Amino acid sequence: MSFFGFDTTLPRGAGHSNRAPGFGQTHDPFAGLSAAGGDEDVIDFEDTYDGLGDQLDETDDAFNDDTFGGEPASQQSIGKDFDFSGQTSQIANTLREEEMLYRARQPPPQRAPAQQATKPARSGYESYTDPNYIPQLEARADIWGLKPKNQTQSQSRQQENQSPAPAAGRAPAPAKKMLSLDEVEAMIRAQSMGQSQPTPPVQHSQIPEMPSQMQPQSHVQPFHQAPYSQGPFPGMPGPPGMVGPPGMAGPPGMAGPPGISGPQGMPGLPGAFSGPPHILQRPQQQAAPRGYGPRQPQQVHAELPGHSVQGSPMPQPTAILQRQRPPTDSTNQQRRHTPQPQVPVHHAPSQPRQILQNPNRLSGHGQPVMQAGQRGSAGGHGHNRGPSLPGMVVTHPEQLLHLTEEQRAAFLEEDAKRAKRNHKIALLARDNGLMTPQDKNFITRIQLQQLMAASGNVEGQGSEAALAEDFYYQVFSQIRGAPRQTPHQPASQFAQTYLFQTSSRYGAGRRHGRGGDNHMQRMEQQVQRAVEAAKARPKGKQLVFEGTLGKIAFSNTKTPRPLLNVTRSETVDKLKAHAKKSSAMDRKATLRNIEAVYLTLMTMEDHERLIPPPVREGSDPEAIQQHMEWRTKMEELHAQLWQDIKIMEPINPQSLTPHPFIAMLAHAKGKKAVPRIFRHIDDTERLTVLTMIVVNLDKLSVIANGIATPEEPLSPSVREEIELFTHTVMPPLFAHISESQLNMIIGLLGLVLSHTHPQIVARTKIGMNLLTMFLSRAELLKQSAPEMDVTEWEKWTESYNRLFDAIEPALPYLFPNTANDTDDRHIWGFLAAMGVHASPEQQQRLVLGVKDRVMETVTMSKTLPTDLAAPRLANVNLFMRAIGLDVELLG
Amino acid sequence: MLFFSFFKTLVDHEITVELKNEICIRGTLKSVDQFLNMKLDNAGVVEDVRWPHLVSTKDLFIRGSVVRYVHLPSSAVDTQLLEDATRREAEAAKNKAK
Repeated sequence: MSFFGFDTTLPRGAGHSNRAPGFGQTHDPFAGLSAAGGDEDVIDFEDTYDGLGDQLDETDDAFNDDTFGGEPASQQSIGKDFDFSGQTSQIANTLREEEMLYRARQPPPQRAPAQQATKPARSGYESYTDPNYIPQLEARADIWGLKPKNQTQSQSRQQENQSPAPAAGRAPAPAKKMLSLDEVEAMIRAQSMGQSQPTPPVQHSQIPEMPSQMQPQSHVQPFHQAPYSQGPFPGMPGPPGMVGPPGMAGPPGMAGPPGISGPQGMPGLPGAFSGPPHILQRPQQQAAPRGYGPRQPQQVHAELPGHSVQGSPMPQPTAILQRQRPPTDSTNQQRRHTPQPQVPVHHAPSQPRQILQNPNRLSGHGQPVMQAGQRGSAGGHGHNRGPSLPGMVVTHPEQLLHLTEEQRAAFLEEDAKRAKRNHKIALLARDNGLMTPQDKNFITRIQLQQLMAASGNVEGQGSEAALAEDFYYQVFSQIRGAPRQTPHQPASQFAQTYLFQTSSRYGAGRRHGRGGDNHMQRMEQQVQRAVEAAKARPKGKQLVFEGTLGKIAFSNTKTPRPLLNVTRSETVDKLKAHAKKSSAMDRKATLRNIEAVYLTLMTMEDHERLIPPPVREGSDPEAIQQHMEWRTKMEELHAQLWQDIKIMEPINPQSLTPHPFIAMLAHAKGKKAVPRIFRHIDDTERLTVLTMIVVNLDKLSVIANGIATPEEPLSPSVREEIELFTHTVMPPLFAHISESQLNMIIGLLGLVLSHTHPQIVARTKIGMNLLTMFLSRAELLKQSAPEMDVTEWEKWTESYNRLFDAIEPALPYLFPNTANDTDDRHIWGFLAAMGVHASPEQQQRLVLGVKDRVMETVTMSKTLPTDLAAPRLANVNLFMRAIGLDVELLG
Repeated sequence: MLFFSFFKTLVDHEITVELKNEICIRGTLKSVDQFLNMKLDNAGVVEDVRWPHLVSTKDLFIRGSVVRYVHLPSSAVDTQLLEDATRREAEAAKNKAK
């Protein structure tokens, strides 16, 4: 019951004779079917034949010869060959298994040979059009890995001649002697008899021995004495080696297109090709065009002595087997390896096989997995490998028996090594494949995203940029110490490092052939592209496409999309500006001034961080240059700052509005700027600032608004202001005063007396503190340098007297509150400072002025518990002791 | 970025987060991201009588968009630095707009 309905069991004699070459015991895939139920209704061929054969268009058959080669007569061997197929059928099962194995392991689907047939410009069969052409029937020695003896010269000559054709690039070695197939087979037979005898190691002869197990392979090729050298070109499924993919090698008659497989044009004699042999053969086809050099003679036990390679039309399969033997000659190996990368890509399917079949690779580099397929396909004849090969693969136990002692030792050692390596690999690879490349990619993305979130963006490459973006955090962590888990290092740098590390981790030696690496590269590229896209994004917040009504607003976390987009009309602005009061204008101007100061300050502080390493004598010019540039910039900024604080604006005593610098001090942030300004200005400039403040003391808001009376205490805001002034402006001023010389103090005191109202100044905390500072500095100078210029002291005494006279009337009013209040230490301190400098007469007047307060405090402290009374008495004592008294005396 | 930068410095400090649905949660800030999403540890709702279902919640993640206020520990804020950071931010924004 065949598919087409006719009997598949051919009538005897109607089909090929079983004796016909190649059809001895053909494996018949339909045999089972016909046996099951076929024989009852025998249908004649004539009954069922529909005459389709008559309709065949045979018009172009005339060119068949062009395509497939000419005269079959040149094949002397027809009909005389071995009974190869009979042998093949014995291992047919094995072969089929191998075929399946091979198919299962062959990653890319076999390409139809026809597709590639169109590619080559040259068919390689050109020579067949020559009527006089006689195909060269000898095998190419270099294909077998043997170096043709005495042929190198002629070969190279031929190479020159034929070089244009890549397929024919390797000229065949001229035949010295042509053996007929009969002869060959006779030799083979003989060989198989005396197989076990060891053969001379180095041979250029190529008549393969045919170990009994091996013969099936070799009989595949009885007709294929095709001139390899002429025939195949890379992409063309020409000569036997290229014959159809294993999958096509089916039952006889269907086997790889007979026309193709038989280059000599012997249709009807298709070998019963089965997959593996073809597979094995392919590399040879590859090898020829690729220009492998002539091979060194190899040590091959399968070779028969006494036959020149060139002379023997070679049964190909043997050659195949031999090819799998790793060459012992290391140079050979190299030769074999190096050309491989240049393998034309267009013949993709054969490439992996090429690698697989590379014998050296097989044994040397231990690729167990890949090997398996190859070994499997060669399984039937694996023992044919030369036993002397280092690291050969022993597939059959009996193979070991053929080995000599030392070979066995070597083999066992090799095997142990391999096992060890395999074990290691297995250990390492235990968790392999748990994550797909996509998974890894995904995880990496997440990690990268986190990094970017931590850093804000990847654009900020340097710490400078990170500082700009993340100023508060960066500086805060530097000041107070970073929170534990966050590294000081700017995270964007971190991200960079991360990327770099990953690429290097996968990089270098392992780069090729790793999927993960590819992903990393793609990731990096993606990140880079994302960054670039972000940079390229339009600066504006909106994008209006031409011809559309809507607009697209861009937003991100840093610049959220504005929900309200109110455009203020210019006219309203102008009207408002006109309506503004001058004081408001002043206030705004002052605030703007302060902001300008801050900006300059920050620029200076940034610039300070960039200070290049200090220049020494040995420094190279570039460093010096850098330093100079830095210094120039710093000076520029310094000048800018000096201008920004408006200190040099002319003082206009008549002006209603205070001096711009003093106006700045009215604002909290203006006060806060002072200590920072002081850091950046030099001594004279500090003195200028101090002078400016002293001259305008009573115009300072903290003094103008700072006079408190028991009836009208200071408002909290003013008190806060004073507090702030005390903490921000006063310390740098004190620091400067405490280093000033006496004449400075005298000058400053003179300014206070001449430009301000001392009584008002003295009634405020700030003013009083300043005066105390002057007085105590003068006292310190008097004690430390009593031998100082007498005239100076006279000047000082004069100034002091003026101050005393000016303040004396205000003495009773110095205390802003009742004696109940404890916040009067600075007043007692001021009084003490006054008392130190005072003459006895002045001291008396001083005591008279504050006598009431002293008595009040002492009386009050008597009513208070000791712990409350003690500080009050101590305050009073501060003054009393200055004039040589003590509160105890009052008791 | 200023607020992100600022909140990062508050990590490991105790803060009180007031949500737009009036729930107040006090806890230790564990992490904050650019959307000002926050993770709180040792968290507890301030008025647990009103929101008893939150009593057992100890660690939580708060989406930034639902936060109305964050009450800060003033000791953990460097005002002057914050002012400077604000100035920088404003300056950077101005430069970007140009």
